[in-house]
Amino acid sequence: MDIGIDGRIDQRSTVNAGAAQNDMLRSARFRVERETHWRQLDELVTRAEQGGAAALGYDEVRNLASGYRQAMNSLSVARDISLDRALIAYLESLCARAYLVVYAPQESLGGLTSRLLRHGIPQAVRRSALPLFIGFLALILGAAAGYRLYESDPSWFYTFVPPEMADQRTPDASADYLRSTIYGDEGQQDSDRLAAFSAFLFSHNTSIVVLIFTLGVFVSVPSFILTFYNGLILGAFFAMFARKGLGYDVFAWLSIHGVTELAAIAIACAGGARLGLAVLLPGTRTRKEALRHQAHDAVKLAILAALMLVVAAFIEGVLRQLIQDPTSRLIIGWGVGLFWIAWLTLGGRGGKTPREAVR
Amino acid sequence: MNQSLRDGKRAGEFIPPEGVPITFAIASLGTRFGAQFLDILFTTIATIIIAVVIVFTGVLPESAQGMLMVLLGFLVQTPYYILSELIWNGRTLGKRITGIRVINVDGRRLTPHQVTARNLMKEVEIFAPMSLLASVGYQSAWENGLTSLWLLVVVVVPFTNRRRQRLGDVIAGTLVVDNPRSVLLSDLAVSAPAAASAQPAFEFLPEHLDVYGKYELQTLEDVLRDSTKTANHTEIQQIVRTITRRIRYEDAVKPGQELTFLNEFYRAQREHLESLKLFGTLRENKYHQYARTEAKRLI
Repeated sequence: MDIGIDGRIDQRSTVNAGAAQNDMLRSARFRVERETHWRQLDELVTRAEQGGAAALGYDEVRNLASGYRQAMNSLSVARDISLDRALIAYLESLCARAYLVVYAPQESLGGLTSRLLRHGIPQAVRRSALPLFIGFLALILGAAAGYRLYESDPSWFYTFVPPEMADQRTPDASADYLRSTIYGDEGQQDSDRLAAFSAFLFSHNTSIVVLIFTLGVFVSVPSFILTFYNGLILGAFFAMFARKGLGYDVFAWLSIHGVTELAAIAIACAGGARLGLAVLLPGTRTRKEALRHQAHDAVKLAILAALMLVVAAFIEGVLRQLIQDPTSRLIIGWGVGLFWIAWLTLGGRGGKTPREAVR
Repeated sequence: MNQSLRDGKRAGEFIPPEGVPITFAIASLGTRFGAQFLDILFTTIATIIIAVVIVFTGVLPESAQGMLMVLLGFLVQTPYYILSELIWNGRTLGKRITGIRVINVDGRRLTPHQVTARNLMKEVEIFAPMSLLASVGYQSAWENGLTSLWLLVVVVVPFTNRRRQRLGDVIAGTLVVDNPRSVLLSDLAVSAPAAASAQPAFEFLPEHLDVYGKYELQTLEDVLRDSTKTANHTEIQQIVRTITRRIRYEDAVKPGQELTFLNEFYRAQREHLESLKLFGTLRENKYHQYARTEAKRLI
C-alpha cells in the first residue's frame, strides 16, 4: 500500500515545521506531519467529485485509493490522540467524501441492463412460483367472477367498469358499434381517437401496476384486490362482447396486447405478493429483514412488469391499428406471450454466476 | 462519537469496509422535501417543453404523438429518479442542488437494487397521494378520509425512526444524508505558541488543569475560533473571570491579555487532557471527578 509518496511528503513537512516541532503538542505534530497528505487527497476528491473518477489519471486514482486508506487511518488515530475538534471534523468529512468517491458504483448502465435481462429477471421469476401463482389466480378469479356476474345481470358492468375506461362500449351499445371499436377502420379520425384512448389506457395501467406492486407491502391484500378488480373488468368486458356474438373477435382483439399487458399486471401482483408474504410470514428473520430480502426479487418482478407494459403499449398503439385480421392478432399476441415464457424459463440458466453476485 | 449531535444535526454513524466509523449528518426532512419539490418542478418543465416541441414540429403522426407523450409522462416519474440516482451516485437534480445524497446504510456502495427499490416506493409515498390529493374535490367523504389517512401514515413514518428513513428507505436499506463538506481550520495549539513561546506569560500547574474536561475544552475552542469576539469583548472577559475562579488561578489577568490567556490555557489544557487520554483516562467534562471516585472505589 505504501507507494513511495510518504517519504517525500514527510521530509518536506518536517522541513516546514522546523525546530518548532519539539515543543509542539503530540496531536499538533501528528497533524503537521500528515496535513500535506490530506490536502492532496482533498484535491483529488474534489476533482473526482466534479468530473467523476474518469477525470483522474492512473496514478491519481492509485493515490486516491491509498490516500483514502491513510486518511481513514489518520482519522482513527486522531480520535484517540487529539482533542482538536476542528481536526477531527475535517478528517471525518474528508473521509466521508473520499468514501463516496471510492465506493461509487463501478458499473455502466449498459452492463447493468444486460445483466438484469440475461440473468437477473429470469432467475427472479423462476424463484417466485408461489407469488406468481397468487398473481395469476387473482386475475383469473376476477375474470371468471366478472364474466359470471355479467351473465346473471349485465348492469353489473356499470358497477365494475369506470365510464372513462368503457368509452361508450356499454351493454346498451349496438353490436355494430362494438364491432367497429374492435376493428378501428372507420377512417383516420377514429383511429386517432383510438390511439389517444390506448395512450390513456397505458398511463392508467402503469399507475395501476405500480400501485399493485407497492401496496403489496400491506400484507399483499391490496395487490390481490386490485388485480382481482382488473380481472373483474376484463371478465365483464369480455362477457359484454361475447353476448353480442363477438367472442372470438374480442378475444383476438384483447390477445394482441392483453397477453402481455395482463401478464404484466399479474406479475406486478406477484411482486406485491412477495413483499406481502415477507411481512406476513417472515420466517426466522425479522419483518424488516425479510422485507429487505424479498424486495430483491420483488423489485425485479416490478421492472419486468414495467418492461412488459411498455411493450404492450407499443403493440396496442401501433400494431393493433395496423393488423385487423383476428387470426394474425391471435398469432402475434400469443407469439409474444410465448416469447416471454421462453425468455423467463430459459434465460440465465448458465449457472455460472452465483446467486449473490447477481444481486 | 460524542459529536454525533453537534449543531443540532442528527448523525448517522456507519462503518465503511475499512472499519473506521464515519458520521454523516442526516438530511433534514425540510431539505428532502425541497429536493423532491425541485425534482417534480424540473421534470414537469422538461415534459412540457418536450411536449410543446413534439406538437409544434409535427414530424410525427398524431397517434404516435399521444403515445410518445404518455411514455414521456411515464419516464419522468420513477425511471427518472432511478436513472439519475444511478448515474450520479445517489443524487437527483434536486438533491444535487440542495446538497443531499443517498447512501447505503451498511457502509457498502449503493447498489442499483437499492436505488430501484427506494424509488419504486416513491409511487406509494409521493405520487399516488399527490394525485389523490388533486382529486379531493371529486371524491366521496370516505375516500377523502382514506386519502388523509394514507398521507398521515406516509408523513409519520420518517418521524418514527431516528434516521429519518421513509418507507422506501427502510425497504431498500438506504439513508439520506447531507453532502459532507470539509474545511480544515488552523490548529489553535500551533498558532498560539508562535507568539507566546518567546515569553510564556502564564504558567499553569497540574492542579489548574485538573478541573475541566473535553467538553469544556472544545467549547473554549469554539469561542476562540469565533473571530467576532475581540479581546475586549465582555463575553471574553467574563469567560476569563469564570475560568480563573474555577481553576483557582492566583495571578490576575491584565486587561488586554485575555485572549492570550485563553489561548495559553487552551494549549496547556489540551496538552494535559491529551496526555491523559493517551494513557486511557478520558475526561468527558468537569464532572469527571465524581466518575473517578466511583471507579476508585471499584478498584
